[in-house]
Amino acid sequence: MDILKSLITRRRFLQASGAAGAAGAAGLGAAGTFTTLKKAEAAPASSGGTTTITKSICHQCPARCGIDVYTTNGRVHAIYGNSDHPIANGKLCPKGHLGTFILYDPDRFKGPMKRTNPKKGRNEDPGFVPISWDEALGTIAGRLQNLRDKGESHRFALFYGRGWGASCAGLQGTFGKLYGSPNVAIGHASMCSEGSKRAKQATDGNDSYNAYDYRNTNYLLIFGAGFLEAFRPYNYLMQMWGHMRTKSPRTTVTVVDVHANTTTAAADRALYIKPGTDGAMALAIAHVMLTEGLWNKEFVGDFKDGDNLFRTGQHIPAGSFAEKWTSGLETWWNEELKDRTPEWAEKITSIPAKYIRDVAREFGSTRPAMAIMERGPTAHTNGTYNGMAIHALNALSGALFAEGGLHYQMGPSYGSMPVSADDYMDDWAKSGAWKSLPRIDMAKTERWPTAGTMMQEAGPNHLKGDPYKLDTAMFYLTNPIFTAPNGQVWEEAMKDVFVIDTSPYGAETAMYADIIVPDHTYLERLQDAPTYPFEGWPMAQLRVPAVKPVHDTKVYGDILIEIGKRMKGPMADYYKAIDSTENVLRHLAKGFEKDPGDNGVNGFESWKEKGVWYKKPYHWRQWRGDFYEWDGKGYNKKMTADEVKAKLIKTASGKFEFKSAFIEKHADNFSQKLGIPAERIGLIQWVPPKHTGGGDLHFVTPKTAMHAEGRGANLPHAIAYQQPMHGGNRTVYLEIHPDTARKRGIRNGDKVKIKSSVGSIEAYCKYFEGTRPDTVVMPFEHGHWSTLTRWTQNRGSGHSGHLTENVSDPISGLACYYTGTVTVERA
Amino acid sequence: MAKWGMVIDLEKCTGCQACSTACAMENNTLPGESWQDVLYYKEGKYPNVNIKWFPRPCMHCENPSCMHVCPTKATYKDENGFVLIDWNKCIGCKYCMIACPYGVRFYTDEKPLIEPDMKKVYPGQDGQQYSPPYQNPNSDWTKGVGIQPKGVVSKCTFCYHKVSKAPAGVADLDEDNPALKEYVPACVRTCAPKARYFGDLDNPDSTVNRLIADKRGVRLLEHTGNKPQVYYLGDHGVVPAFTRPDKS
Repeated sequence: MDILKSLITRRRFLQASGAAGAAGAAGLGAAGTFTTLKKAEAAPASSGGTTTITKSICHQCPARCGIDVYTTNGRVHAIYGNSDHPIANGKLCPKGHLGTFILYDPDRFKGPMKRTNPKKGRNEDPGFVPISWDEALGTIAGRLQNLRDKGESHRFALFYGRGWGASCAGLQGTFGKLYGSPNVAIGHASMCSEGSKRAKQATDGNDSYNAYDYRNTNYLLIFGAGFLEAFRPYNYLMQMWGHMRTKSPRTTVTVVDVHANTTTAAADRALYIKPGTDGAMALAIAHVMLTEGLWNKEFVGDFKDGDNLFRTGQHIPAGSFAEKWTSGLETWWNEELKDRTPEWAEKITSIPAKYIRDVAREFGSTRPAMAIMERGPTAHTNGTYNGMAIHALNALSGALFAEGGLHYQMGPSYGSMPVSADDYMDDWAKSGAWKSLPRIDMAKTERWPTAGTMMQEAGPNHLKGDPYKLDTAMFYLTNPIFTAPNGQVWEEAMKDVFVIDTSPYGAETAMYADIIVPDHTYLERLQDAPTYPFEGWPMAQLRVPAVKPVHDTKVYGDILIEIGKRMKGPMADYYKAIDSTENVLRHLAKGFEKDPGDNGVNGFESWKEKGVWYKKPYHWRQWRGDFYEWDGKGYNKKMTADEVKAKLIKTASGKFEFKSAFIEKHADNFSQKLGIPAERIGLIQWVPPKHTGGGDLHFVTPKTAMHAEGRGANLPHAIAYQQPMHGGNRTVYLEIHPDTARKRGIRNGDKVKIKSSVGSIEAYCKYFEGTRPDTVVMPFEHGHWSTLTRWTQNRGSGHSGHLTENVSDPISGLACYYTGTVTVERA
Repeated sequence: MAKWGMVIDLEKCTGCQACSTACAMENNTLPGESWQDVLYYKEGKYPNVNIKWFPRPCMHCENPSCMHVCPTKATYKDENGFVLIDWNKCIGCKYCMIACPYGVRFYTDEKPLIEPDMKKVYPGQDGQQYSPPYQNPNSDWTKGVGIQPKGVVSKCTFCYHKVSKAPAGVADLDEDNPALKEYVPACVRTCAPKARYFGDLDNPDSTVNRLIADKRGVRLLEHTGNKPQVYYLGDHGVVPAFTRPDKS
């Protein structure tokens, strides 16, 4: 019958064209096959149902692009960029379109569940059974109340990754304050991109990523940022790329990275640098800019007598240089920079001195010119110093707060919360013993004095019982059992912790979960998401549900609120007053009544309709060495030095510091950890990286354009497009230089074993001339071991994180994902 | 009557594949059934290496070789320049796949690219080869629009279901024009660096014609005589020679 079915299918054309078809079908009489065919032919040329477009916000990277979600007959079937959204401008990146699949992923959790198998491990089936929301929330609240009653509330930790706004991650701090735990909440920034933030905090006083004016820049010097793959907002960066590369004058782009990728290929110049040495190159560029008189004199200042006294190897006389918006230049030059020649840097970076000089001359003689960076230079033990050296180029070029330069992000005009948590604090909340305890990750202690968060330490610390043991851990949009450096330790650590997972998907955290309280996916959520650093002016996006929840899930903010309501004492009263995330959002939106957005959004309903509130312009501009504030009509109000310090350059000196007071505050601590004399610790300087892993090849694990922050691993279409330039459409390959491979007897396409001091994985390799011979590159993507999702399994490559030692930059706390070394052999 | 054509500026293209995923979700294709694929080529020796990429939709040729070889006249050229497949007539013989010089036709009845097979996860209903829960409501088997039945060849339709509804006489379908964006092919509409343009090649006022003239548009494999209605701009505009990495 199958053969007949197939035959009749192949002869559909005959039926369509008349008598012959009728005869062919007649042979089968009134069999079911024929009916099916008729139906199929009748189906076409229709577009049944009314299509509605909901304004929402994408969720697959931090960028927060506005999206138009197309829904017909209650089903989402398309997602496009929102034309009226300032980041998206009607466009999307390759990830954005796949959101429909995320919504209908057949492996989503259908509702709350509890574990029945007490054993935890890779090969242990959790044995989940469905439970009601009441039971799930009651169990969690009971457990937390019990801990609190015992005076052990610090043993509850809440870990979160991509916190979006006041209606989700914004509720967590209050929860910790009312409940009484220093570990609510611990963010993932130290496993993300904390290095660039700390470099900026140390030099210009802003603990933040930058906003950038790409539209007006004429030179981009990109250090390891994956500009056309993983930097954000990716969609907008590509829009700007199209603009920059066709405007007059065309923006020139130099890219410094460890392997060829789409960014290096699309740029004007690609330089392949030895991993972890970007700071040396930046210092040499600064050296050339100074010796050749190419610094921005209006911003930095000049020699008092006008003659350039910066000469290689020679000190400048004390007091000879009058600085304007920078500080410490004289010391920086005399103690560090005078010897940092391109020839010196060539020996460290392997980049030929002549190219460094060429870049310095271009960068120094083009205005506006900016240097940008992310994890390439900063995910190393010397990451903050690399980052500071790169950011110093933005001071020397005068790009800070200038047109075509770098800014910082303003926050939205939100209204206040329905009630204040301060009015709901009981004695334990106010002055319980938990107040004097450190966080489980030891961030902000002598161990990590300037790290805001150290999630990667929490698992190992719990295992050691140092500073104490956790009892219960809740996870929101983070999966450190898989993503933490040397996550294998977490696999051991989480065995005796009661794990609460809120993800709608079954990742590794869920494999360890004792209870699952599944969040909505983003197309079902009502949730705010103020912009990630973008163009500087304030913007607050709103996710609006396109469809009713497909399964029995609950938005994470409401999960927290509902747990809070089930606690005893004033904490419960607070959450009863907060009521719901929708109530929170309605209160936030009251701020827009007084300060309507440029698109007319002036309250909750219009916010929902448009999906975004924003208000241009950015309020400040540095113009030829003077700072001006927006007065409603133009940048007309000249700012005093004190105003600049209060609002823009927030360092101790109110200037860009080549010698960082922020770092000097912890001079002894860092001096001991880094082996740098305390009196030199604040200088922007070359510090060699300490490579981990014990191998003979550098191991770098970038994210690809398709990497959807963990929400992409189970998307068949994303897998198919994952690493296209190496043929990676079922797996991801290890890029290896042909000479490096041949020396080890490895053929193109071979399965290889990659080993480090902490683990061993297998992957298939691809020869690539664009990868440094001393480096191998494998995207952070596959190797999931959860058995709860079907497409993540058996992808043919291991997980890069299993080879990464848990070592972090002592200043930023950023896990050193890119500083590892490995050995590679045929498997 | 229009003669719809596309211009792809390879100087602006960032190789991101948003065109591919937008197409995949708009047209509900399977993984690997890349009606709009992007091809990547690597050249040179370290440290002088170049990567080129080449987005490849159906060329909707003026003189389509796929049409000429079709034994059932399933593939045809429509009056507005679309090259379409009538799935009611297609017998899945694959002659067209061999005849097409551009490799833009797909036959999905064989081993799936990604396992588990989505056709098994979402079994076909009403004759469709698979029926995912997120379906474009537009379907017209006589034009090769929608999810195909088993045993037929599929390909890019230039988003016929959108473009064919555009107001008559429009020179360009520009996604930045709010009145027109719903008629723009998915790949063009989403292209972030605006590397794609879609317009009427018969209209002297169209931006596509202007770009082809100003920026020296070229067509792929001119010597075949197929005369594509897709033009490429920029110095990547020729597919580079490919060297196998293990033979280099």
